[in-house]
Amino acid sequence: MRKTPKGIKTRKFSWTTILLLLLFVLLAVLILIPFYSIFLASLRPSTEIMRQGIGLDIDLSIMSFDNYRHLFSGQTKYFTWFFNSIKITAVQTVLTLLVSAFVAYGFAMYDFKGKNVLFTCVLFIMMIPMEIIMLPLYQLTIKLGLMDSMWGIILPAVAGPLPIFFFRQYLSGISREFLDAARVDGCSEFGIFFRIIAPLMKPSFAAMGIFVGMNSWNSFLWPMIVLRSSEKLTLPIGLNSLITPYGNNYDVLICGAVFSVIPIILLFLIFQKQFIAGMTAGGVKG
Amino acid sequence: MGLKKNAAAVTKEPKAAAPKPGKERTNSLLYSQKLAPYLFVAPFVLVFAIFYIYPVISSIIMSFQEVIPGQTHFIGLTNYKRLFNGDLGQAVLNSVIYTLLSCAVVVPVPMLLAVFLNSKKMVGKNIFRSVFFLPALVSIVVAGLTFRLIFGEMPTALLNNVLSNFGIKPIKWLGGPAQWTTFFALLVLCCWRWTGVNIMYYLAGLQNISVELYESAEIDGANAWQQFRSITVPLLKPTFTYVLTISIYGGLAMFLESYMLFNGNRSPGGAGLTIVGYLYRLGWEQANFGFGCAVGICLLVATLTINLVQLKISGFFKKE
Amino acid sequence: MMKRLIALLLAGVMAFALCACKTSEPAPTDPPATDAPTDAPATDAPTDAPTEPSAEPTEIEFWTFQDLHVEFYEKMAEKWNEENPNEPIKLVPTVYPFDDMHNKLLIALQSGVGAPDLVDIEIGKYANFLKGDVQLMPLNDIVEPELDNIVKARVDIYSKDNNYYGICFHVGAAVIYYNTELCKLAGVDYENINTWDEYYEAGKKLKAADPDKYWTSVETSDIWHLWPMVAELGGDMVSSDGKPSIDSPAMAQALEFNRKLVDEGIAVVAPGNYFHAEEFYGLMNSGAIGSIVMPMWYMDRFTDYMPDLAGKIAIEPLPVWEAGQSRSVGQGGTGTSITAQCDNPELTKKFLAFAKLSAEGNIEIWNTMGFDPIRTEVWSMPEVTQSTNKFTDYYVDSPFDVLTQIKDEILPHNVNEALPATLDAMKNSVLNRVYTESNPDIPAILAEEQAKIQY
Repeated sequence: MRKTPKGIKTRKFSWTTILLLLLFVLLAVLILIPFYSIFLASLRPSTEIMRQGIGLDIDLSIMSFDNYRHLFSGQTKYFTWFFNSIKITAVQTVLTLLVSAFVAYGFAMYDFKGKNVLFTCVLFIMMIPMEIIMLPLYQLTIKLGLMDSMWGIILPAVAGPLPIFFFRQYLSGISREFLDAARVDGCSEFGIFFRIIAPLMKPSFAAMGIFVGMNSWNSFLWPMIVLRSSEKLTLPIGLNSLITPYGNNYDVLICGAVFSVIPIILLFLIFQKQFIAGMTAGGVKG
Repeated sequence: MGLKKNAAAVTKEPKAAAPKPGKERTNSLLYSQKLAPYLFVAPFVLVFAIFYIYPVISSIIMSFQEVIPGQTHFIGLTNYKRLFNGDLGQAVLNSVIYTLLSCAVVVPVPMLLAVFLNSKKMVGKNIFRSVFFLPALVSIVVAGLTFRLIFGEMPTALLNNVLSNFGIKPIKWLGGPAQWTTFFALLVLCCWRWTGVNIMYYLAGLQNISVELYESAEIDGANAWQQFRSITVPLLKPTFTYVLTISIYGGLAMFLESYMLFNGNRSPGGAGLTIVGYLYRLGWEQANFGFGCAVGICLLVATLTINLVQLKISGFFKKE
Repeated sequence: MMKRLIALLLAGVMAFALCACKTSEPAPTDPPATDAPTDAPATDAPTDAPTEPSAEPTEIEFWTFQDLHVEFYEKMAEKWNEENPNEPIKLVPTVYPFDDMHNKLLIALQSGVGAPDLVDIEIGKYANFLKGDVQLMPLNDIVEPELDNIVKARVDIYSKDNNYYGICFHVGAAVIYYNTELCKLAGVDYENINTWDEYYEAGKKLKAADPDKYWTSVETSDIWHLWPMVAELGGDMVSSDGKPSIDSPAMAQALEFNRKLVDEGIAVVAPGNYFHAEEFYGLMNSGAIGSIVMPMWYMDRFTDYMPDLAGKIAIEPLPVWEAGQSRSVGQGGTGTSITAQCDNPELTKKFLAFAKLSAEGNIEIWNTMGFDPIRTEVWSMPEVTQSTNKFTDYYVDSPFDVLTQIKDEILPHNVNEALPATLDAMKNSVLNRVYTESNPDIPAILAEEQAKIQY
């Protein structure tokens, strides 16, 4: 219907479109520059990079894949970390989605005493910087025997406030009468959730899946505290341990950093459609 | 898939182990609508109690103690009194400036970008959405390293190199004599990482605005700006509130950005010292757990107050 | 189509990651690093001591923040196993970044779980570990018999209530490193620079000869360059009764001197803010800086990070403010300690004594790390003075000549619970303000910052 010929408007619109497009292209280029430059840097001798900073110029004479060759040679723990990260991310994402959806369903579909108080607690968690409770949480983790184990990382985050919040918003769009129909059919309350609601939530699972996965893959401070042994470290922690003035590890550092970005970007590109669909279908209605 | 989920349900609620698919209500517990919600939110309550309430309480207790191995004892308000003569002032100032600056950019700008991206006239929406979102996928370790090298003080580092084309001398961006350069670097990093995420939130919000509203507005002769002002802005308010809330929270709790940019919790002149950075220094680096907890409690009170006031003003609670 | 391609790629990446894991996990495919270059990645698998059929080796978990320390301890563990086949040990080292390691250790010790057996603790952090009931093991039974043979100050700094908890790697004597090429350029005879005034004049000469060069450099986030200058004047970071003492006239005098050098372009503020930053290594290596004040243990930074300066660096005693002042201070240091959570304290102690207190160990400290070892007799032993290693190849003169010259002038400095917080203040605030603010009122800054220190 916007194609209705309206001479003046069409011209105006194409002019603004071009301007807009230019603006967006410019922004996109700015956003991509760091990716581009760190990738170039990964092809150059790393110590030089640390000393001089990164640039944009391509100098084929000093560029090579030596760093990557070293990375893939298996002499470093890089891929142990890589595997740890994949494992923790996978477990954490699946568990968090499941538990959060479960909880969100309770919030969205029922009226019960203390609901508002509890939901305020969800918001409350969102506002507690993790760093504040780090010290006691650390002591607790030790008491629970979860140090240096992936459960110490996963469990505190298993009922994530953001996914709960998001799923609740998503579910509040589903009419409760729909549930009553299922009840009449003899479904138990949990049956309703697992058989009827969970499949309906697929798009929002995709959206939150990327969110949770991304946070888990990149999570830094807490895993740094919980994990100890170097063969249990995750990728960000492992990479960070290479940034030290007391060792020569920069070769692995920069190309390792670049390589660590690849899986998560691929995941995003694959699920991009579902992600955007899920995000946009859910919406934050407040 | 379904099976798996059922299995998970079993572990959550052992009594769900034998739900007969038939219509007989053998297990009233399973079918009780009164009990069900409590069972659903139980995992949250557990996690909340164990990993949040307990630590917050022990944090409060520790903030009144001097915590040293084997000799922990109560020292009353000493930790809180000491707050006022240390570097906390600078840390708070840095955090507040950073929060204000980042909110000024990361809240409104993505809104505009999202509106454009949502417009039917826009070309290549999906590409731009993806590109803008990419930085959020990058670990702060990698992002910090990259930006540290971009903002390097040597003339060969990217930014100085570019500026030298305009005849500008190399600037010491990170912790240089002028404070604004540090904030600038932090702000660029923050915008780079969060713009795309916030665009997604706004896009999500925009989907909830019915297209018909715009169509009827167009029929009434409203131009794009009028439509934006009288339809988009008011209807996007909940999303705006949400984005503002998380941005304030994120700004006040900022630590890792500075930690990675400065290669540790050490910035010259404390230019990158934030509240959490201060807490980290006291609690972890100087083993002053009690003092660290006191800083934490103050930050907690501050974030809660600001966010609650902000939510109150924006009428968030009325909708509950 | 595109999607499938990406999926395929992803699968490839994952598969590759898994394979690479498998190949890297059964680690010791590459031989132990007995004489491997120091740039062997920290993450390399620990070298296993040859297992004796007779006894099961005792595992000793070791944390450090320095690759080089691992190399040293692994060599010592190997020697230990050769000499003590009945009590073999297996060192399990982990290298963490500096701050991470100390933070982790601190909380592990405070909470009573998760600490290693053996650990390197840096002097600036050490006092944190002496608070309350000390969670480290007293080493008196191995240290006390050797007290006459070692520089006592180097164990005193790790002691509390007459208990010794750590043993240092080195004396850490502060010296000055000259770039002989720039000295020549300036027409300066570095061997005859005896006072800081002469040092300043030499800087002016260099500036006149080539305005693009700097005579020296100062750190804004570390204190090594400053500490000995203050110590010569009788100042210190903390007083002997455990209070910060940065507002002393000595401190102000040294800082004002350095600031003058910065203002006149004679000194450059170290790029990267301290002498351990890659940016600084780069600038120094390019031959742009004429001299720096650093402790002896900085020798291996030159050899490892500034290869272009080989054959150009001379080590000399420090200038003084006035004739008669002591020319050095024992600076920095890393105490190796045994934690209270150690599984085999007796064996670990014996090994530690062997590594850090014996002549054999001290010779190895010099050979592997280029440190000035704490056992004084080895300074004149032929194994040390006549050895050739990467350090003797690199430097113009013998560090032990300098060490013997200043032997009786190496001042100790105070170490107590106020030190970590005081150093934090210096590194995070004071030096930056003094060297970068325009027209700073240095004594006022010092007084102001001192009042803010929380310890």
